[in-house]
Amino acid sequence: MEREFKLTFFQRNSEKILNTVIFIILIIVTLPIILGYLWLIIRSFSVDVVRGFIPTQFTLKNWRFLWETMEGYPNIWKATLNTLWVALGVMGIEILTTSMGGYALSRYNFRGRSFTMKFVLVLHAFPTISLLVAVFYVLKVTGLLDKLIGVILLKASLEIPWGTWIMKGFYDGIPWELEWAGLIDGYGRMKVWWKVILPLVKPGIAVTAVFGFLSGWSEFIFVNTFIFTQETWTLSKYVKSIIGDFRFVDYGLVTAIGLFYVIPTLILYFLVSKYMIRLTIGGVKG
Amino acid sequence: MPEIRVVNLKKYFGKVKAVDGISFDVKDGEFVALLGPSGCGKTTTLLTLAGIYKPTDGAIYFDDVLMNDVPPKYREVGMVFQNYALYPHMNVFENIAFPLRAKKLPKEEITKKVVQIAKKLMIDSLLDRKPSQISGGQQQRVALARALVKEPKVLLFDEPLSNLDAKLRMMMRAEIKKLQEDLGITSVYVTHDQAEAMTMASRIAVFNQGKLIQYGTPDEVYNNPKNMFVAAFIGNPPMNFLRDFTIEGRKYAVRDKAKIKLPREVEVDEGKKYVLGFRPEDVVIKEGKEEGAIQGVVYVLEPLGRDVIVNVMTDKTRELVKIFAEPGDVPKEGTEVSLLLNEERVHLFDPDTEEAIL
Repeated sequence: MEREFKLTFFQRNSEKILNTVIFIILIIVTLPIILGYLWLIIRSFSVDVVRGFIPTQFTLKNWRFLWETMEGYPNIWKATLNTLWVALGVMGIEILTTSMGGYALSRYNFRGRSFTMKFVLVLHAFPTISLLVAVFYVLKVTGLLDKLIGVILLKASLEIPWGTWIMKGFYDGIPWELEWAGLIDGYGRMKVWWKVILPLVKPGIAVTAVFGFLSGWSEFIFVNTFIFTQETWTLSKYVKSIIGDFRFVDYGLVTAIGLFYVIPTLILYFLVSKYMIRLTIGGVKG
Repeated sequence: MPEIRVVNLKKYFGKVKAVDGISFDVKDGEFVALLGPSGCGKTTTLLTLAGIYKPTDGAIYFDDVLMNDVPPKYREVGMVFQNYALYPHMNVFENIAFPLRAKKLPKEEITKKVVQIAKKLMIDSLLDRKPSQISGGQQQRVALARALVKEPKVLLFDEPLSNLDAKLRMMMRAEIKKLQEDLGITSVYVTHDQAEAMTMASRIAVFNQGKLIQYGTPDEVYNNPKNMFVAAFIGNPPMNFLRDFTIEGRKYAVRDKAKIKLPREVEVDEGKKYVLGFRPEDVVIKEGKEEGAIQGVVYVLEPLGRDVIVNVMTDKTRELVKIFAEPGDVPKEGTEVSLLLNEERVHLFDPDTEEAIL
């Protein structure tokens, strides 16, 4: 005779219940961020909002900075170009150094290797603020004060340690046999790196590139401290000056510029999200 | 094709002595297997031949040229790796063409050679696939093609078949052997599978713990193992060992009531105890107690189809012995049996040094 295996309601649905609970927790945790973005979008396209969220009337007036240079501020497109230049500069330097540095740390057994690796991490742990005074002096002496290239070099040098570690991880995931095969097939070590190994760490390069770009794009402290001329402002300084000035705050304008500032970041994340997922899983598979 | 000569080769990694003073030679066009358990230094030796590792000490000659410091790209060797080491971002054609591109050959010639070798190895229909899109056996062939396409003077194999399933392995075994014979390329083949070494190589170098234990033809290492390690490593099932035999009058190995005549007289300590060795096929099992034979009880049977492995537990000493028997007249489990050894093929080992006396 057939009999039923007896289960309580909770035993029967344990997985569903767990998933629901997790889901609710995740929603609660992410709610502030989602609401923040929502407010940003709504506010930037409306004349005013009531009770914080309900838009009153659609307008593009908040976006006027796109087609007119506002009084007392530099041209938005000039600031955007400056920001782009910083972002690409940091990204470029970071790709160049970490793709080689990570390889060296992963593959070469040189004297002081483990010390270098630890030191590099310590370097990353330094709070930026603590460096400001010393760096100000360095920039002044080298004549890089109030120049974007100074900010780029500074930012890149602080990003490189972390990027090098990331790249080392990716290189570690590539079997030695591939490198040996390349050597036996008739290339020197540099060529093998270029033709065999480098294409295989593309996901790693993409990841460091994105993080490099974003850290340059969003850099604020260095720009705020070392850049004075309006002509060399970046977007972060632009936003700050609108919020933090003497006048009352025009939230419509702030939200519109904020949104404008965040759009490239979002696009970039969408483009490389598949590599990002691989980063969390770890390693590369052919 | 060059002759390879390895003289007192040593390779240390820090304090680890991966290869500790080995010497052997590979004749022009010969197929030699380096055989041993994992971590015995056979792969390190191979990579030193390829030029990936530099020897800590000793010398490697291709013909009379000292190769110690010559980078891999000038050695004209082809190598097949255990995991195939195909370049995952290139398709099959590009993988095979890679060594030719390194030589900067003209494009038409590269295409011609790649297609030619691909046809020979029956992978010409896969040329535009990526390595991840083909099976393990096909990857193996691509790796082989890549090693062969540049017409190397020396071929190195690092356990090339161990990632394949048993059936494919048997097939590729014969195929690689045939290919090597046809091309006549001096080859060194690393494996931990004694069956591969026995079937493919003209000579086998048995490695253990960084040292070369024995170097000889498959016949020699099988029939005249130099010590208990070689005897136990080669053959499937391996040689049986029975301990604590004393030698009587130089001609007989004796334990309890068992008395086994040795193939020839030996010079040994009469009071000392020795290890008797015999292969599973060199025994006849007889039911009942025979005078002067080793006696035991059938423990378990392992039928293989063509023959049966009879496991016998010896009386008193309770040592397990594996014996080949023909199916049909096999005693049942629990039967009392006597083991009649083929006295011509009995081995004797010193238990302290493990060296063979006979």
